[in-house]
Amino acid sequence: MTHQIRLVVNGQIQTLTVRSDETLLETLRERLGLTSVRETCGIGICGACTVLVSGRPMSSCLLLAALADGFEVTTVEGLLGPDGSLHPVQQAFLEAQAFQCSYCTPGMILSVVALLREHPSPTDDEVKAYLAGNLCRCGSYLPILAAVRSAANRLRS
Amino acid sequence: MSPGRAVPMIDALERVTGRLRFAQDVSVPGMLHAAVVRSTVPHARIRRIDTSAARAVPGVVAVVTAEDLAQIPGLRPVYGPQIEDQPVLASDRVRYVGDMVALVAAESPQAAREAAAQVVVEYDPLPAVFDPVEAMRPEAPLIHELRPEEPHRGHAVYFGLRPLFGTNCCNHFRLVTGEVARGFAEADLVIEETFRVPAAQHVAMEPHAALAYWEDGRLVVISGTQTPFNTRHILAQLFGLSPDRVRVVVPPMGGSFGCKVFPRIEPQVAVLAWLTGRPVKLVLDRYEEFLTLTRHATVVRIRLGLTRDGRITAKRVKAYWSTGAYADCGPDVARKGGFGSVGPYRIPHVAVDSYCVYTNLPPAGAFRGYAVTEVVWASERMMDIAADALGLDPLTLRLRNLLGEGETFATGEQLHDVHFRECLEAVARAIEWTPERVELPDGRVRAKGVAVVMKGMTTPSRSEAEVALDRDGQLTVYASTVELGQGARTVLAQLAAEPFDLPYTAVRVVDPDTDCTPFDNRTTSSRSTYMMGNAVREAASRLAERLRSLAAERLEAAPEDLVFVPGAVCVRGAPERCLEWRTLLATLGLPELREHAVFRNEGGLDETGHGIASSHWHHGAAGAEVEVDLETGTVRVLRLHAAVYAGQVVNPLTAALQNEGSMIMGLGSALFEELVYAEGQPLTTNLSDYLVPSFCDLPDVLTHELLERPGAEVHGVGETALPPVPAAIGNAVARATGARLTELPLTPERVLRALRAARAEVQR
Repeated sequence: MTHQIRLVVNGQIQTLTVRSDETLLETLRERLGLTSVRETCGIGICGACTVLVSGRPMSSCLLLAALADGFEVTTVEGLLGPDGSLHPVQQAFLEAQAFQCSYCTPGMILSVVALLREHPSPTDDEVKAYLAGNLCRCGSYLPILAAVRSAANRLRS
Repeated sequence: MSPGRAVPMIDALERVTGRLRFAQDVSVPGMLHAAVVRSTVPHARIRRIDTSAARAVPGVVAVVTAEDLAQIPGLRPVYGPQIEDQPVLASDRVRYVGDMVALVAAESPQAAREAAAQVVVEYDPLPAVFDPVEAMRPEAPLIHELRPEEPHRGHAVYFGLRPLFGTNCCNHFRLVTGEVARGFAEADLVIEETFRVPAAQHVAMEPHAALAYWEDGRLVVISGTQTPFNTRHILAQLFGLSPDRVRVVVPPMGGSFGCKVFPRIEPQVAVLAWLTGRPVKLVLDRYEEFLTLTRHATVVRIRLGLTRDGRITAKRVKAYWSTGAYADCGPDVARKGGFGSVGPYRIPHVAVDSYCVYTNLPPAGAFRGYAVTEVVWASERMMDIAADALGLDPLTLRLRNLLGEGETFATGEQLHDVHFRECLEAVARAIEWTPERVELPDGRVRAKGVAVVMKGMTTPSRSEAEVALDRDGQLTVYASTVELGQGARTVLAQLAAEPFDLPYTAVRVVDPDTDCTPFDNRTTSSRSTYMMGNAVREAASRLAERLRSLAAERLEAAPEDLVFVPGAVCVRGAPERCLEWRTLLATLGLPELREHAVFRNEGGLDETGHGIASSHWHHGAAGAEVEVDLETGTVRVLRLHAAVYAGQVVNPLTAALQNEGSMIMGLGSALFEELVYAEGQPLTTNLSDYLVPSFCDLPDVLTHELLERPGAEVHGVGETALPPVPAAIGNAVARATGARLTELPLTPERVLRALRAARAEVQR
């Protein structure tokens, strides 16, 4: 069975026909070509497929596309400014070299964007607790913490 | 932008914008999607395979079993890097839960998965064996029948493979130095212990992904692999083609840690592409990742003899490596773990038997640390047990026996540029070493532990590189070192840029492609920055030299009076007398200037394990401070420090990341990473049951250092900080609890059990 849905993805309205069992992850990757959205575990544990759904970080592997009907979805592609400039969180990740293979980076960056909206001045413990659902197997956690601190400073000023 | 500067990755922008494309992101027109039908039983004869329901699923183009492979002329459907024991598809028999039985190609991934679920396979179960020690017993069921008359055609065997025919042992590595019996007779104390390390999963965030298609009789494979040339060679052998009829292209990987070493799914997509006449892509899901490759579950028995004042007189090691259903590179793991089990100590009498053993479990192969994590756990726990038995400080015991400059290792090779003592002393300082435990009022105890590591690098091996300058003035590095998150492209760009005084960001480093990047052994064993780095450095400096001499003629100056500025060569002190590179090439009528360089390391071991095991050695040490809750068995790591000898660091930023990543992976191995099976059925099948370190698992303080020495060789640092971490943490926990800890990981259950046993011992 298929469903007609309407999504606002990175500011653009998308009208799509999706299968009942189709995840938002599949829709974004396969129908919209947004390959920054990446699957690792497929069961909502690793955070690699994190996207912002109406501003909230969610595992797109667990959300059926049909249930996302009407929502606003942001992927890391949607963080860039109109002139293509990096979002302050992206800039902070780049400057802190807060990644190795960078497979988890888009999901991590989106979680940090949401974190800093909720807690503009988080402590390291708050950051760790908030990002516990974003795994980085390369183990770039320390520079990520540094990047979050620097992005928080940037966004506050 | 000279080497030694901390610079961000050359592709950082693509990485933070999510634009970097991995193998799984590659699509070509007309592409089919594949899915795999896998065995549900650990060991059985296949009675019947019914594919009719699967074929009826809409969108299915092909359902392929071993029988169908006969349609491919010249196909020899069996492969393996060291022993050719792995069928492309199981024909008569399956050997583990996850063994590949059939393949589906369909118009969509969903249709392929749906059809795979519809394939019915009936099995006649066979007796199975899961423990490497049990698998060595004479009555154990044989998983393969290796025969002396059949050569082991796996081409990656550069060492004397010694299967014990008629058993499950596919390689027996021996190292004998001195006479152990004499060594034990000279000892005041002889202790013996058995250590265990479980199978573990790499959990590269990006799963295995490969795409294959045929083009005018040539096979093209796009795959995330650490071994482009081994994969090309094995695919060529499989299809009976000359290697130049196979092209392997390697996009950057989303991590690997060893799981993408040697062919994993490339043979399967290649046969599907042949049979369907269309491009085929396969991307594994996480459960399949868990069935594809693991770290070896290992049992290590050590007997150690020491004098009263703490000098080691003899060491006897028997190690059993569960390599699973197919050997993969297990024979070499047993070999490297064999000489690795001696440790960086001065021991006059050594005997090692290291057995690579088939079991009915998923294949085990390369894993970051490559055998050394397992033997360091055993060997370095044993050093602490020995220190306690002698009433010595474990740091003192180590320092008394560590190998120093110019001393001889058990293999007979003389060691140079030796820094074990420096590394160990650095961690002792950093964690403020003391052998004392501290009891806190509420049933918690704190203590510290250290461990030291000696790890080899693939020897012999070869890396080739080309550096070219084209008509647009673009400098390009052609190298087959793959990018898996370690920052290889960045480091190679830094090294290539140096002789031209060019910013590293101006250098292009192409993706490995066996059609246009020259030969390299593989991206493993922390060899690339050293081996490929040297090849790139050499090619770049030759090119700079050539450019300088060509320009000298036209600028009417001596070559030594010329200097490079970005994109041009100028006469020193005369900035108006410059020649742009592209003008020079245009004047010469050349499309490009290209230089090629080869860098080799030499060595090898003989039948008794003597010779050159490694052309240079990686040195490191780790120290930990832990807090153990005696009531719950919970271990908290308060402080973790590692010191790694790097010789010279090319990029301090990426080198630091390698160290931190290794330590955090070691933390997972120490505390919770363990693949669990019940009668061969995997119980840990995804990140819900197999835990990897998250932000919340970080020690309170995690620090490290890279030791450098002016003029020294570059040492790779991709793995060195991993193996000593579980042993340092284990030594600290043992010191805190007084418990006999011999098995990883140190879960609360295991710590509690050991605590209870220790208390029972005291009462007795």
